[in-house]
Amino acid sequence: MRGLRRARTLVPVLVCVVAIGALLVGGLSRNVVYFRTVSEAVSSRPSDGSGRLRVAGAVVPGSVVSSGGETSFELTDGAATVRVHHHGDPPELFEDGAPVVSEGHWLGSEFDSDRLMIKHGSEYEPPAVTQGAAK
Amino acid sequence: MKSQLGSLAVAAGFAASVVGIAVLGVGLRRRDTRLLRLGGRFVPIVLVAALAAAGVMEWALVTHDFSLRYVAENGSRTTPLLYTVAGLWAALEGSILLWGLILSVHLTLLWAKHRRRIDDPLVGWAMLVGLAVAVFFFGLMLGPANPFHSLHGAVPADGRGPNPLLQNHPLMAVHPPMLYLGYVGFTVPFAFAIAALVTGRVGEGWLAETRRTTLLAWGFLTAGIVLGAWWSYEVLGWGGYFAWDPVENASLLPWLTATAFLHSLMVQERRGMLRVWNLSLLVATFSLTILGTFLTRSGVVASVHAFTRSSIGPALLGFLAVVSVVGVGLIAWRADRLASPSQISSPVSRDAAFLANNVVFGGLAFVVLLGTTFPLLAEAITGDQLSVGEPYFERMSAPLGIALLFLMAVAPNLPWRAAGRDVLRRRLARPAWFAAGTMLVLALAGATGVAQLAAFGLAAFALAAVVTQITTAVRARRHASVPRMGVVRAAVRTFTGNRRLYGGLVVHVGVVLVAVALAASQGYSTKREVSLARGESATVRGYRVTYLGTTARRTPQKTRIAATIDVHRGGARVATLRPALSIFPGATSAIGTPSVHTSPVRDVYLTLVSSPNEAGRITVGVFVNPMVMWLWLGGAVMVGGAVFAAWPDRRRARTRGPAAVGTPPAPAAPDRVLEGAPA
Repeated sequence: MRGLRRARTLVPVLVCVVAIGALLVGGLSRNVVYFRTVSEAVSSRPSDGSGRLRVAGAVVPGSVVSSGGETSFELTDGAATVRVHHHGDPPELFEDGAPVVSEGHWLGSEFDSDRLMIKHGSEYEPPAVTQGAAK
Repeated sequence: MKSQLGSLAVAAGFAASVVGIAVLGVGLRRRDTRLLRLGGRFVPIVLVAALAAAGVMEWALVTHDFSLRYVAENGSRTTPLLYTVAGLWAALEGSILLWGLILSVHLTLLWAKHRRRIDDPLVGWAMLVGLAVAVFFFGLMLGPANPFHSLHGAVPADGRGPNPLLQNHPLMAVHPPMLYLGYVGFTVPFAFAIAALVTGRVGEGWLAETRRTTLLAWGFLTAGIVLGAWWSYEVLGWGGYFAWDPVENASLLPWLTATAFLHSLMVQERRGMLRVWNLSLLVATFSLTILGTFLTRSGVVASVHAFTRSSIGPALLGFLAVVSVVGVGLIAWRADRLASPSQISSPVSRDAAFLANNVVFGGLAFVVLLGTTFPLLAEAITGDQLSVGEPYFERMSAPLGIALLFLMAVAPNLPWRAAGRDVLRRRLARPAWFAAGTMLVLALAGATGVAQLAAFGLAAFALAAVVTQITTAVRARRHASVPRMGVVRAAVRTFTGNRRLYGGLVVHVGVVLVAVALAASQGYSTKREVSLARGESATVRGYRVTYLGTTARRTPQKTRIAATIDVHRGGARVATLRPALSIFPGATSAIGTPSVHTSPVRDVYLTLVSSPNEAGRITVGVFVNPMVMWLWLGGAVMVGGAVFAAWPDRRRARTRGPAAVGTPPAPAAPDRVLEGAPA
């Protein structure tokens, strides 16, 4: 009797725990965004597929083409260079040589970006700021 | 000189804590009341030392004494006074000093309240545990986080000043201390929990000792989180208020477990159940405050490998390990005494609803904890740098939040032990109809989204249930009084007669406001970036924004570029907004200052994304965010409810005794009579 009563409380709890666990694993695996340098991103392109990632590098001087709310530029880390297409105007302080993090996904051999952040140098910087610069 | 004075104060605080622990320890072992009294007196000495240390730091900050490294790094002559004073919590070392100061205030209040009962081992042990936490934080200030290091070499003419983001809005002066008051406040219930475990008095006595402190700490933490969200909204300029970044999650995590605890402690008080669970929740809450300090203050978020550069990270991590191991170990050791005398008897009862509430809050805390720490674990193990996107947090927390809203709507109306069908019908039928009506009206009015509609419906349900509960109780009181008292007087009597119940219901009303604001602003906000030449307009969701011109202002502190933008809607002028960009000398980034027009229905929120280019065009971020204002109001209502619940009763009310605590209101009088009564 006592066992039965105990089961009546435990079973719903267990069901909740299992359900939450399953949701979590699924949610986490779908929403991970990798952070890579340009050369890392290039070398892991086959495995990343069309998943979201952030690519860090510097803007190649003279490569920026901006028109009609679209910005296209080359991003380099010294070892590798990719062309980035960004949907939107560049943020303030976006310029030749600026340290940039671009978030998006691969589209063929070019990187399709919808979020552009200037990499900050100061010590304590909540990440929301970097997101803010792009939005 | 200030360096020596400050260091001396810190050392005195450290020494007083250590000696206090030793004297209390010996006193507890020998059951010597005189030694215990003596040990307790070291607590106010710790406070005096902490006040002295913080005072010296503020003195150095205000007088711009750049011979102190902390002042040179976080103060400057051009920084306004407010932010100079707030410089105490602008960086790591000062924050730890603030931690220590607030901790010693809490401990001294504890001592002042209980010093006549210090021969009670529960109080003695709680004081000892509190001082042990103080030893750790004063130890940090002596070692890896010393705020009183002097600068080597020549004293600079000016300092670097605080991070630009921290000197951009007055909220920065309020938000961190609030958060710390909340964070540190949980040390007191944690100390009592450990004391209960050590002394073996794991019954309900220790709960009663800490209820008020827990509630106040929770109120401060709530205020801190809401103010942080507000600051983020007004300063960071990305159009939102909570980005699920680790720093924000760090404040949310202990809030979740503390909220769970505030509910489950009622089950323990009432039915003696959930003892292990409650102790675990308190250990978890305190551990999460330490984890939060670790996440925000060790640099681990930027990169796992950054935090070992200073020894503060490992020290906090070690302390976290000690706290968890001691807590879990003590609970396991006392397992035989923690068995509950009673059981949950029905799945439809207030006890079961509280259990469900705790499971969901626990699940939510786990979701956030996993998402926050997963990148750190992954980087430590595989070396890959990654982040967990906002969609994870949003998708995971939305269903759990809706489940919590449902429980909040229903649970306060459920009786303890078991609910009969007719009780449920009498108490819940009207709110349920109201909720269904609300959802129908909103759906007809064009509201979309299952999650949004569910949230609005449940919010209406919860609000109606609270209103029914309160009006029923007030009416019952009026009817019971001879001669019949006025409505206002009856309401005041009802509320003050059971502060915890009605304070709690007020908090629930705040949660309803917050839930509506979250659902509306998450579900129905619009954002667009528009590029405008001078005199040009663009229309976003019915709002026409017109760019009128830019002004640039150069001060020693910063260069500020502000755009003047007119906002019209349907021909009528709504506001003239001036979003700005500030460029601080020495900083590599531009800091945007959004400009917001707030109204009860929706905010128009403008950011200056980039200043005029060669062609004179600017880029403006236009956000139309519905109902965000209710988030701040809801937060204020929640804090108000918590303060009301924690407010000391007058003696008259106190004699009602614990039986009145958390009791549902008197059964409703027949509806006919109530409706016939003059309002």
